[in-house]
Amino acid sequence: MDTFLSVLFLSLSKGAIYGVVAFGLVMVWRGSGILNFAQMGQAMFTTYIASNLIINGQSYWIAAIIAIVLGGLLGATIQQLVMRPIEAMSSKSKTSDIEAIFAIVPIVATLGLLALFQSVAGMIWAGEERGFPAPVSTFGILVGEDILPFSAFDIFTIGVLAVVLVITVLFFRMTNMGLAMRAAALSPEVARLNGVRVDRVKTLGWVISGALASLAGVLVTPTANLSPNTLDLVLIIGFTAAVIGGIESLPGAILGGVIIGTLVNVISVYIDPENVFVSILIVLFLVLLVRPQGIVGTKAGRLA
Amino acid sequence: MISLSFLLFFYLLGQVLGPYNQGQLNVVLIYFIAILSLVILTGYSGQISLGQGALMAVGGYVCAITITNFLVPSLLAIAIAVLGSLLVGLILGLSAARLSGPYLAGATLVLSLAIPSLAIRFESVLKGDVGIQLYLSEPPSWLTRVLGTIDFDEWNYVFTLPFAAIVLFFVINLTRSKYGRNWSAIRDRPIAAALSGINVERTRIYAFVLSSGIAGLAGALYGFRGVVGPSVYPTALSLALLTGAVIGGVRHISGALIGAGLVVFLPDLINWFSNRFQLSQNVSDYLPAFIGAVLLILTVILNPSGIAGGAHHHRAESHK
Repeated sequence: MDTFLSVLFLSLSKGAIYGVVAFGLVMVWRGSGILNFAQMGQAMFTTYIASNLIINGQSYWIAAIIAIVLGGLLGATIQQLVMRPIEAMSSKSKTSDIEAIFAIVPIVATLGLLALFQSVAGMIWAGEERGFPAPVSTFGILVGEDILPFSAFDIFTIGVLAVVLVITVLFFRMTNMGLAMRAAALSPEVARLNGVRVDRVKTLGWVISGALASLAGVLVTPTANLSPNTLDLVLIIGFTAAVIGGIESLPGAILGGVIIGTLVNVISVYIDPENVFVSILIVLFLVLLVRPQGIVGTKAGRLA
Repeated sequence: MISLSFLLFFYLLGQVLGPYNQGQLNVVLIYFIAILSLVILTGYSGQISLGQGALMAVGGYVCAITITNFLVPSLLAIAIAVLGSLLVGLILGLSAARLSGPYLAGATLVLSLAIPSLAIRFESVLKGDVGIQLYLSEPPSWLTRVLGTIDFDEWNYVFTLPFAAIVLFFVINLTRSKYGRNWSAIRDRPIAAALSGINVERTRIYAFVLSSGIAGLAGALYGFRGVVGPSVYPTALSLALLTGAVIGGVRHISGALIGAGLVVFLPDLINWFSNRFQLSQNVSDYLPAFIGAVLLILTVILNPSGIAGGAHHHRAESHK
């Protein structure tokens, strides 16, 4: 196969992961109006747990599923223990002094959580880098004499994420809960008046986002190693993907993920991996300056 | 007046404590300046920056480059560094003023994460991972005549002190001026502020530019401790400054001093604690970060206006 096509295919597998990360960010953003910087910290933590399970002889599949379930639980815990008290306080406070701080409090809280996860992981797992296994080979597929730059694991990744995507779309389109979530994101007050339990819907958003992040963690680490800080880069790329897609839009998040995945991949294959960060920075600022509503978004929601 | 007593107090404090502590007090003062830049940006104008360390890096690099390449005196280099960071702040502010919280937070975070890559990308000027050496020129003779011989740490400390006092003076007056009131107005009620004839966008940009200038000054002073490089201005620095600002009280100038003290001395205290109780290497390595994170989370849940803000409230209530 042509190198260029292989690079594109590889981009799709990486882009799909970034897309899922962005999807999780957008989900919480739409539900709770919070950009969750701790998301990949949660994922790092659950991936470490899965890794420990595998080291202790548990099968890959069970470990991966436990990681994803724990990711969902972690999301719910954060929402209940940290975000709800903050929201409750911000809605009842009257003084402008405290009110002003509430614009930044959720962001600071998620950063604190990220630091918490990273430091606890460091304490438990010594901050060592370790590999994380993949269910299938991560080496390039051999076709005749040629080694293709993408592996069975890339195909696996794309397959898993495609299935997840279809399930999510069906969930939002076909189930009452999905409808409730869309309604609550669009207009919480109206949804509440129509009998949607907005609080519960918010929690569900955090659960789905946490589970997806853990899935992304399990899918990224076989090719990137696992350490307390490994997934920071994934978060940043996921954030950029969400911004490209217009942070209000779930399909936009996936699209943004594929776009940024392609960009990152093409740059690291054809130019220099060292340039990846600088190009993300440039893309992010270009999008924010030129088309702040993203490629899918229509509202000028992010303009202050 | 406050600034002068501040100057005197810290000079005497430096004299009482030894050279090692002067090195640390120097860092406290530099963080104080840096956190004051966050007080203006976040506390007064309501914008968040996770990249204040990156703006410090701008100041540090400009200062180091002008000194190594053009051999200008330290003071002039600092002035150029402040101008440089004002300019970068203007460029950032132009985009930032249009962005609301999370976008700004993400964009500034990416900026601070990109510093090491930028240093390597432009290695010929920025000298990659190693960075550029930067030292203060010898203390002037009139100063040595007044203060006696001055060693490295003391000279750095004595050099930083007036800058901290000037920034303190500037920020106190700024927050009491028309601009301080305008910032509070657009932060609390942006629409009402716009209707009252405040140009919201321009006021936000103004806050960003000033804050960048102050951060750049802090960054230049930070660089004078020996080296300007990516490891001096990591993302962790930006986050530590924000943590200090929030725990201390981001709306309050006194909070900036409390926060700066915490950021510098808390890790020391924790290290002393982990040595005392012989905690394992893993735990003692990550304990400062852990305690910082817990304090930050507890602050935002229980007392979001921070230590200084909390004290303020209690005082206000007891007056009633």
